[in-house]
Amino acid sequence: MFKILKSLSKSLGGGKPAEAKPAAKAGSLLDKVNKGAPLKNEPPKSVEELCGITPKMAKDEIRAQLKLLFRRYNRSASSLDAKIRAEADKMLDAIVQVREKHFGEI
Amino acid sequence: MAEYVGIDLGTTLSGLAYLKPDGNPEIVPNADGERLTHSVVFFDAHEDVKLVGSAARDGGEPDRTIFQIKRYMDDPEHLVEIDGKKWTPAEISALILSKLKRDCSKICGDITEVVITVPANFNELARKSTIAAAEMAGMKVKRLVNEPTAAAVYYAHSQGVKGRILVFDLGGGTLDTTILDVEGDTIKILTSEGARHLGGSNFDDILLDTYAEQYKKQTGAALYTDERHRRRVLQATEDSKKMLSKLQRVNDTVANDQNSGIARIDLTREGFETLIRHMLTRTVFLVEQALDSAKLKPSDIDHVVLVGGSTRIPKVKTILEKMFGKTPKSCGNVDECVALGAALFAKKSAKIQEVCNASYGTLAMVYNAKTQEEKLMNSIVIPKNTPIPCSRSQVYQTSEDNERVIEVDITQGEDEDVKFVDVIGRLTLEVPPNRPKGCEIAVTFSYDENQRVRALVVDKQSGRSKEVAVSYKGAGVLSDEELKRRSAHLRTMRIE
Repeated sequence: MFKILKSLSKSLGGGKPAEAKPAAKAGSLLDKVNKGAPLKNEPPKSVEELCGITPKMAKDEIRAQLKLLFRRYNRSASSLDAKIRAEADKMLDAIVQVREKHFGEI
Repeated sequence: MAEYVGIDLGTTLSGLAYLKPDGNPEIVPNADGERLTHSVVFFDAHEDVKLVGSAARDGGEPDRTIFQIKRYMDDPEHLVEIDGKKWTPAEISALILSKLKRDCSKICGDITEVVITVPANFNELARKSTIAAAEMAGMKVKRLVNEPTAAAVYYAHSQGVKGRILVFDLGGGTLDTTILDVEGDTIKILTSEGARHLGGSNFDDILLDTYAEQYKKQTGAALYTDERHRRRVLQATEDSKKMLSKLQRVNDTVANDQNSGIARIDLTREGFETLIRHMLTRTVFLVEQALDSAKLKPSDIDHVVLVGGSTRIPKVKTILEKMFGKTPKSCGNVDECVALGAALFAKKSAKIQEVCNASYGTLAMVYNAKTQEEKLMNSIVIPKNTPIPCSRSQVYQTSEDNERVIEVDITQGEDEDVKFVDVIGRLTLEVPPNRPKGCEIAVTFSYDENQRVRALVVDKQSGRSKEVAVSYKGAGVLSDEELKRRSAHLRTMRIE
């Protein structure tokens, strides 16, 4: 395995390096190029779907997935961007609901 | 002069402690006779005075009263406008610190140098804002110390324990969990994990919604229509919450300010615990995260120590007892132990081994020869929880032929997925022309005991290099000159 240096501006294909903004969320830039507009009339996702939990997953896999998501969204919950913070809060609630459903209440 | 002073600059309460000649720390009360000072500032409209503490909390107009400013210490856009002047979170915090310094120095002697506590996961801007606040208040910050570390120092000192300790610090605004090893006077931090915006004030908000719902049901009217009345009801919910830590059932009566009648609010401890259960489950996740970070099991923990006012909620103790199979202990007054520990830390800091608060790395295209897959990843150079001071290097390759400028994005965060890390800066290095891709570039991060990070990029072929201090220099950080000017201005203010 080898590692090639890639700055964000190069990975986005920009010629001129952009000025790095302190504490910029990498996702906010990448999302612009990687994600299309959200589909209209898309049915609301269940908490399992939000957390990427499938019916075939074993308990250990569910636990590991919830831990990974908690780590990610707990960090995002401190973001200065109110939108990211609100999304993170919603995800944290979903993570808690899935835990309660599969492992019982605390 | 007080030589060793520690300050807990809290979201809801702040306290100052100093080390007595016998080596034991003591809380110094403010001029109002209170051991802890409410972190609230009121700007009076009639007199040129800033009230800090319970007087500010109880009497002021909401538009002129600032609560929980600590939550915004890392937000350069959060400005409080009073009478046309815009105040930064650091300036508001400086008023709280000034009150502590002025009041407490009358008892313990002049205060010039202090240790200030911060949440374990406070980012660099929040840490810088805290230092700036202290400097504006006329105090030099000897060190910042993480709140749970300070609490653990006090616990180890007062209880004389040794072994592996997990500190669970659930305060007014944040939750911190730290695991550390204690052997006599020597303390080694293993890990710290934190959750911002998870604390007692979140529980108060949940209870406030219940009050409003009940009021609407019984009277058909809104419980509050303005901020002043909302604050009053919020105070009532906080009182009820505290009573529910001692009683199974609490009855309260509330009214709005529109003469819509009185409603009776019946609360049970069980009902309250159900209301906040989802928040408490988040605290369990955070404890598990700390254990995973330190590669430990619950049975590896010798002592569970409770810190912060919200750990008085009985369910918190029950959850931790169930998780660890032992009764959690509190180190005396859970509201005071952080300030007491900070005073001890001021003297003992050399014997306390801390760790990196975050992982630092860069963005790299990682190619896996086995799977032939290529993926843009956050490549961590210096992992979180590495004992400090430390230095780590990784060698990367250039991506293009004739690459003239090497760009290294500096990342902060543990996730491999670049969407879940922060890019906090960029280092550029000019290299000689006409070279093929694949030239080796070494990236080194160094972390010193003051949590300062430096990044060094070396082009191995040409020997050219560039080093920078990884620090936030953007909006919200005051220049030294501006800091001096504001500090001088603050000294002329009447703060009570």
